[in-house]
Amino acid sequence: MAATTMAVPQSEMPLSAHMRGKVGMWCLIAAESAIFSIFVVAYLYYAGKSLSGPTPAQVLEVPIFTSICLFSSSLTILVAEKALHIGNIKRFGAFWLLTIVLGVIFLLGTAREWHGLIYEKGLTISTNLFGTTFYSLVGLHAFHVIVGATGLTIIMIFTALGHVRQEHSERIGVFAMYWHFVDAIWVVVLSVVYFITR
Amino acid sequence: MYDAQPMSRPMVVSPERAGSRPLVQVLHDWIVTVDHKKLGVMYFSYGILFLVIGGVEASIMRAQLAVANNHLVSPETFNRLFTMHGTTMIFFAAMPIVFGFANYLMPLMIGARDMAFPRLNAWSFWMSALGGIILYFSFIGGSGLYGAGTAPDVGWFAYAPLTSPAFSVGHSTDYWIIGILVSGFGSIGTALNVLTTILCMRCPGMKLYRMPLFAWMNTVMAVLVLVAIGPLTAAQIMLLIDRYLGGHFFDTQAGGSAVIWMHFFWIFGHPEVYILVLPAFAIVSEVIPVFSRKPIFGYSIMVAATVSIGFISLGVWAHHMFTVGMTSYANAFFVASTAAIAVPTGIKIFNWLGTMWGGKIRYSVAMMFCVGFLCQFLIAGLTGIMLSAAPFDWQLGNSYFVVAHFHYVILGGIVMAVFAGVYYWFPKVTGKMLSETLGKWHFWLFVIGFHLTFDFMHIPGLLGMPRRIYTYDASRGWEIWNLIVSIGVIFQVLGILFWVVNLIITFYKGKKTGNDPWDAWTLEWSTTSPPPDYNFATIPVVRSRRPLWDSKHPEDPDWKYE
Amino acid sequence: MGGGAVGGVFHYALKKQIPRGPKSVRVMRNGTYAAQLRLCPPRNQFMNNSTQPEPNPERKSIEMPAPTAWPFAMAMGTSLTFAGLLTNATVSVLGAILTIFGAVGWFREVLPHEHHEAIPVGPEEPAAVVPPREVMRMEVAQQVQRAWLPIRIYPISAGVKGGLAGGVAMAILAMIYGVAMYHSVWYPVNLLAGTLYAPSSTPTMEAMMHFRMDWFLFALAMHITMCLLVGLLYGAMLPLLPTRPILLGGIIGPLLWTGLLYHILGFVNPLLDQRINWWWFAVSQVGFGMVAGFVVARQTKVLTAENMPLAMRAGIEAPGLMHERGDEDKKQ
Repeated sequence: MAATTMAVPQSEMPLSAHMRGKVGMWCLIAAESAIFSIFVVAYLYYAGKSLSGPTPAQVLEVPIFTSICLFSSSLTILVAEKALHIGNIKRFGAFWLLTIVLGVIFLLGTAREWHGLIYEKGLTISTNLFGTTFYSLVGLHAFHVIVGATGLTIIMIFTALGHVRQEHSERIGVFAMYWHFVDAIWVVVLSVVYFITR
Repeated sequence: MYDAQPMSRPMVVSPERAGSRPLVQVLHDWIVTVDHKKLGVMYFSYGILFLVIGGVEASIMRAQLAVANNHLVSPETFNRLFTMHGTTMIFFAAMPIVFGFANYLMPLMIGARDMAFPRLNAWSFWMSALGGIILYFSFIGGSGLYGAGTAPDVGWFAYAPLTSPAFSVGHSTDYWIIGILVSGFGSIGTALNVLTTILCMRCPGMKLYRMPLFAWMNTVMAVLVLVAIGPLTAAQIMLLIDRYLGGHFFDTQAGGSAVIWMHFFWIFGHPEVYILVLPAFAIVSEVIPVFSRKPIFGYSIMVAATVSIGFISLGVWAHHMFTVGMTSYANAFFVASTAAIAVPTGIKIFNWLGTMWGGKIRYSVAMMFCVGFLCQFLIAGLTGIMLSAAPFDWQLGNSYFVVAHFHYVILGGIVMAVFAGVYYWFPKVTGKMLSETLGKWHFWLFVIGFHLTFDFMHIPGLLGMPRRIYTYDASRGWEIWNLIVSIGVIFQVLGILFWVVNLIITFYKGKKTGNDPWDAWTLEWSTTSPPPDYNFATIPVVRSRRPLWDSKHPEDPDWKYE
Repeated sequence: MGGGAVGGVFHYALKKQIPRGPKSVRVMRNGTYAAQLRLCPPRNQFMNNSTQPEPNPERKSIEMPAPTAWPFAMAMGTSLTFAGLLTNATVSVLGAILTIFGAVGWFREVLPHEHHEAIPVGPEEPAAVVPPREVMRMEVAQQVQRAWLPIRIYPISAGVKGGLAGGVAMAILAMIYGVAMYHSVWYPVNLLAGTLYAPSSTPTMEAMMHFRMDWFLFALAMHITMCLLVGLLYGAMLPLLPTRPILLGGIIGPLLWTGLLYHILGFVNPLLDQRINWWWFAVSQVGFGMVAGFVVARQTKVLTAENMPLAMRAGIEAPGLMHERGDEDKKQ
């Protein structure tokens, strides 16, 4: 085998290895989307098939405020990412914290809604088909929000301790993708649960 | 632009590594490893362990069915046997084996030093392994109806009313759910890793269209795992909600639907077939060219066929449900899509034949298994097309004809390809050649046994014998066929024994071989056998689909013509 | 929860990591010390390696991800968490704790820098045991080093000619059959016309014996069309059959002919099936194939166009179409 060196044109280079975080996250998002889509299909399929009450129209109210909070958290995390990218750590920390607060408001809203549903309106996961599908779909999403918020909080603690620097922006960007995904899923869940089938 | 070495120079492992060390140390090394090669070997060995366990279960079932009115095992045990056999073979034998091949070979083939996420790789393996242990713990740990251990007995696809708390008391079904759920997370991790490795870790010059077909087919496999395991996980979570929290997803008494479980299961279940068979295609696509001394015929068509198989396989699931009763539109759609998937599959068979056509074929054991694969997979495909016609399926759905068909696919196709892969890559993994004589014994015994068992299994199916029955009357006319089928098992077991003996003897006393015993062309043969921890001392640079051909024949390299 | 602990761990790891680079002696995986290590860049050698090959091929060690038990611990924890559903809630609690520990440990492995260990590069392999085999080169053509085989093929027109000639042979054989069995050359002609062109009523045996202009013309048109079609197919298949055209023609011809005719016969005119003597039918088909093969064998072969670039095959005439690759070779 000849030991000559040869030039490799840039066009022949594959995606570089730093991209792997992003690609891996896209794969995870694809797998998660598959799980969510089955829950959404089940929800749509069972809509209106409950044999007994309560029905969605009787008990559900559109969570406008908390949804706005969750959606705007996608914007605040974007601002935070941009800030980190240019090395503005203070601004990053502020917007990152705002993102966490918005996410927690959403979770509190869900908790309040569930509390009302269970103790006042008498809808539990075993009441009827609506209860089963509602709690599992919204609960699955809420679980993802909890996971995301936990991750956000850990990064926030590191930021507060001064360990997050500009060069981490790529890794933090990968994590932010997950948060965007959680928000995007809420668009689907919100429209299916609170608008299409109510 | 930068300069790079065209090919890595072969290296050998440092001699200290070969020294004997205490067992605890060795075990510790295996448990903490994040090396894709060790994990690949672990995946494979773990798959083989479960293959043997699942094989023992199958053999007991065949002993039970060999003669009419037999009572070798109890009916309850029989139910557990077929459930555990199916679950084990699909989730804990076949999937780990194909993941093992992907793990071991993929980075080597694309010129990478490891997978994209080595630690995630270890996590994925352990999740899969522990899932299998959870499933088998049910034999002793499941608090069943009588307080004793019970294995799951609801069939490998666990159809709905049977899995409801009313009909499946105790935890046996939960073991099935949790075991597969846990290993499913591992599978998603591996798929993510394989896909990212392919997209991000290729060596310079390894464009997508220069990747070996092995890499291409495993890419599509990884995509299918990503989109197909999710539905199963989701459906199993729903079943858990039904069983633990009193949900009504599959509870027909409360308006739930048993049929939707079938849909969810088969949305996973049919792509799963392709998840298993694409890596088998991958192995065959590497072995046939090397032993025909010709480059693969129609590379780009093969890639296109692989990708279209991936797409079509996501839209054929309900052909498992013709007998359930669907609308005529649904029937027509799934008949058409199922028949359509035969087209890219047929293209592949033609391309493999086209590769062999006019080639200088060397009938080494690996190649013999590939030829066996071609013949048997063809027959499997033909009975598949027969069953894809809904009226035919109404007649024979859930009969032994179906059982014979999918065993033809899995045993005659996938397992044969896996054997070919083992004979082909064993020298790379261990540095030693498997014995060709023992290999031929293995091949012929296994093929004879396979045909005795599964050719004749079609007949009781045509005569109306349903699958999963515990025993049957002598007056049915099924006796002789069942006896032949069971006799075939003996030959298969003998063949497997020869294989295991071959593996063991070779591992300890095998003939040392060089880096490239087959005169092959893909990158894994450019490094030492076994490869060092870092795979390549110098990251190779490739210019064609057969980098080793280029370096062996500098006067006539491939890259001039691609 | 464990956030504070994580932060502390992070800090600790960061401190330990900074002086990593200059250490030249490190414990190897096999427990020996490798003092001959060269200095390695402190960060992410592994990642850099895969994006750009290292400039120095004589390096003595390569950094690989260090073995770690944390993924195992985390997998164990996750599995136990789920296994608690099957056994006892305490198992789940244990599993959850193990999961958290595993996650933290894993975190420490990759942050702030991924842990690596240096693997010494082994000595070079003496030589491959199996030397690369000698490859015999076939001189295929002047201009091309590699080519689609066969280089010279029969043109498709050869197949068409063969088909027409075979058609004549077939007609003669069929007429001989008519004369021998029914004493009428027109019987097979009428029979052929009857496949598609069925008059209002089934003709009597008597009518079948006599010449009828419309039937004759119809049969002639059909026969020629079929001969052309079969010839075309045969011609397209010829490159697959580089040798023995007469022998293969005798097999391929009947196969194609039957394939085409059987379909038409089966559903258009089932009555006709009863009238055909299949043995004679087979004989005339083999006759067709052999004559077709004979005609093909007398044609001259042409160079296959497969070896030419697409532009040339499309009829574009321009200089340098054949030698582009060669030029690139010279540049190297």
